[in-house]
Amino acid sequence: MTGRKRFLVPLMFCLVPVVIISSSAAVPAKPASVLLPGTSPLVTFRILFMTGSAYDPPGKEGLAQLTASMLAEGGTRSMTYDQIVKALYPMASSVSAQVDKEMTVFSGTSHIENLERYYPLLKDMLLDPGFRADDFMRLREDAVNYLKVSLRESNDEELGKEYLYNVIYSGHPYGHDNTGRIVALEKLTIDDVRDFYRGHYTAANLVVGLAGGYPKGFPEKVEADFTKLPETSADQKHFDAPKIAAGMHVDIITRDTRSTAISLGFPIDVNRSAKDWAALALIASYFGQHRSSNSYLFQRLREARGMNYGDYAYIEYFPRGMFLMTPEPNLGRQQQIFQIWIRPVEQDNGVFALRAALYEYDKLVRDGLSQHEFDTTREFLTKYANVLTQTQSARLGYAMDSRYYGIPDYNAYVRTQLAKLTLADVNAAIRRHLKTERMRAVVVTKNGEGFRNSIVNNSPSPITYNSPKPKEIMDEDKVIQVYKINARPEDIRIVPVEQIFE
Amino acid sequence: MRKLIGLVSLVCLAAAAPAQKKETNLFPYNYTVDDLANGLRLVTVPTDFPNMVALYIIVQTGSRDEIEPGKSGYAHLFEHLMFRGSEHYTPEQRDLILKKAGADSNASTNMDRTTYYDVFSREDLEPVLKLEADRFQRLKYSEPAYKTESLAVLGEYNKNSADPTEKLDEVLHATAFTKNTYAHTTMGFLKDIQDMPNQYPYSLEFYQRFYRPEYTTIVLAGDLSRDQALNLVKKYFGEWKRGSYVPSIPPEPAQTAPRTATVEWASPTLPWVVVAFKGPAYSNDKKDKPALDLLLPMAFGSNSDLYQKLVLKEQKVDVLDTDFGGHPAPELFSVSARVKDGKDLDYVRDEILAAFKRFTDENVDPMKLNATRSRLRYSFALRMNSSPAIASSLALYIGLMRSPDTINKLFALYQQLTPEDIRAAARQYFVLNNRTIVTLTSNRGTK
Repeated sequence: MTGRKRFLVPLMFCLVPVVIISSSAAVPAKPASVLLPGTSPLVTFRILFMTGSAYDPPGKEGLAQLTASMLAEGGTRSMTYDQIVKALYPMASSVSAQVDKEMTVFSGTSHIENLERYYPLLKDMLLDPGFRADDFMRLREDAVNYLKVSLRESNDEELGKEYLYNVIYSGHPYGHDNTGRIVALEKLTIDDVRDFYRGHYTAANLVVGLAGGYPKGFPEKVEADFTKLPETSADQKHFDAPKIAAGMHVDIITRDTRSTAISLGFPIDVNRSAKDWAALALIASYFGQHRSSNSYLFQRLREARGMNYGDYAYIEYFPRGMFLMTPEPNLGRQQQIFQIWIRPVEQDNGVFALRAALYEYDKLVRDGLSQHEFDTTREFLTKYANVLTQTQSARLGYAMDSRYYGIPDYNAYVRTQLAKLTLADVNAAIRRHLKTERMRAVVVTKNGEGFRNSIVNNSPSPITYNSPKPKEIMDEDKVIQVYKINARPEDIRIVPVEQIFE
Repeated sequence: MRKLIGLVSLVCLAAAAPAQKKETNLFPYNYTVDDLANGLRLVTVPTDFPNMVALYIIVQTGSRDEIEPGKSGYAHLFEHLMFRGSEHYTPEQRDLILKKAGADSNASTNMDRTTYYDVFSREDLEPVLKLEADRFQRLKYSEPAYKTESLAVLGEYNKNSADPTEKLDEVLHATAFTKNTYAHTTMGFLKDIQDMPNQYPYSLEFYQRFYRPEYTTIVLAGDLSRDQALNLVKKYFGEWKRGSYVPSIPPEPAQTAPRTATVEWASPTLPWVVVAFKGPAYSNDKKDKPALDLLLPMAFGSNSDLYQKLVLKEQKVDVLDTDFGGHPAPELFSVSARVKDGKDLDYVRDEILAAFKRFTDENVDPMKLNATRSRLRYSFALRMNSSPAIASSLALYIGLMRSPDTINKLFALYQQLTPEDIRAAARQYFVLNNRTIVTLTSNRGTK
């Protein structure tokens, strides 16, 4: 993935003409870097460590996240956290951490006028952490409360989406929430954090990302500062595909809620570097482009039936989708899933909604796309890459992800991959990758027993409407309301919400 | 058509820079404001972000215009209906045009405004403007389509309903306001949402009232010129007919005593307390609102003594949040806290109250005031990172005053305000009879 020397790649659609990618290989002491020099008065940092929650030691799930929080929301050796907050305050800047399975990124943007004050703070936060007990107590409790209160009890959609990953990756290094497990978090110590920092915040794991109108010589200064990190070896584990049993499995999380949220999916052996990535990206966009009415599933469930607020599909991890219109970069993963997200429906329509999602998915697998659907979705995605990479921070993040996946500049990659794609390629990719025999579904609802019984007994789940519907919809509903959910009774589990993330 | 302001630059934002710094244009984009004869306003901001254009259409209507009883939530419902087809485009045709443009397209509604946006490649400017012009002038949806969309709104309520802060906000406003329409949230009351399917004729009336050029401002930011923007807007929006409706929004009578409310939450949660005072309406010439804008981060932000004490030192609170947006009428200045242990709820409430009182008694530290001015200035500058971000930042102010120029005036006021001005505003608004406190608790704990 890394080159042996710096090289330049033209960026057709970027503000800045070049992206400069370097590697530590030529000059061992220097960290890898991705640089997007430009003329903006804003200077963006993405300091990436190729480590994450997949490296949490067994029994210490949450350690990667807590370590990152201790750097981004804790003091340094010379400054307490409240002093850092005070120093950042007049600049309106911050340092924020995002931890995923294989990547931990610290990002922030400074106005050029403040760079000389901002950068030393950022540098000390990452290179000279204070690891104070009071910060540790606060941040560990925040992590527990995030899982116990915010995720488990305040956001049914995110709960279902995140738990789906736990189900699919059960027994795999990806198998716990990035924030950790409650029982494990409660046992973590500050020494655990120190050990994780020492072992994983290494020069070998580091990629420095910089973009904007930074002064001449600034990248060299940053790179030289970060040589302070120990060399040691990189966290470059190979993560296998999850081994999951055949069949449809349904986990029904029960909690006191007025609606029913549904997520379903299965692992795919395609990530951004794979030959079929563009084909699957096109399929997911056609079937369920994020937060767009321009997609099949949205049209069938929301527009035609008014079942909920939206219905989408993904081939890459996209957390916090209810708050974001575009995904955050630096969530690179070797392993991905195909995911369908059905936003909360009325309780009475829950089983119908799950059946409808499976019915439409099966239809996609059976029928594929038409030439017109292929053409319009390709046109959309070719241009939409510009929307994804509009901000300097996004461009930098995507460039760093391209380095991770070993692909060219994202926009150019998308354009060239889509340009050579044919309808036959896409429909072949459907046959190769979109399976039904290892589907996993997570349902968040109040009446778990009722939901389970409907599936086990294959009871009809008719839907009623408040207005006349076309015959085509009514006929289709008759099929959907008895559409068989092929799950064995023993594969339909009811999980009280209190047990999630324990 | 009458040109109002030509090539006015927002450079005087730099006047708010810390004194020791050399002045720099934080918002270096020239913009133009053009008014069409029908009352429609166009703001064009050519930026140096290539290839893309952000089209923001701001309609000055929101949930505060929902004056009839039983009709809360219609401004938001209307945002949904605007995607249900127009005279010359079915929803499917609309989707296809935007899909071929690779557009990011959506909308949002709040108390005071409804904002529609499309972000797309510059070569698609004309087809997108033509498409948008049709729905703003000739929206057309059937009653069945209306009823189906009202269910999507219920779905939106459902997705939000798991979050206790949504309920907290609903009860806070219903308690603090009795006559004024800020009593209901933008989402609306559940019973009104459930009744929406029966109100098709009212929905048509809502469109006739507010989807008019005199309520609407178009912002075009990105890789385009003013002439290009103006010619196309005149071509496609020039025939739009001006309306005459002006809502008679009942003013909120003066509060005569402090108010409290409690919410019992069915699911396990950490308890919340919110302390709110009625504050002033947005203004760029009166001192009170800008003074409280400056006070908010000093008294309750991450750099405040209260935050340092409750969140960092004592660690009794894990979320300390504030809300004091700009509104055309008096709205709430609120501080909410999520308390880690229910036994500390009263203590946290009292600490928040003590902070309010402190700033009515004491002047703010002048150094902190300077740091806050700097913070506001840089936080504006840091948002200017793409054409949609620029258009979106302007949309807030355009929703209030229809002109980006208000930003200059507001930041100039921030620069002039003294610690005495801030204390005077605190004394005026943080009084017992302006206060509402709401607590939310669950008897199921968090286990």
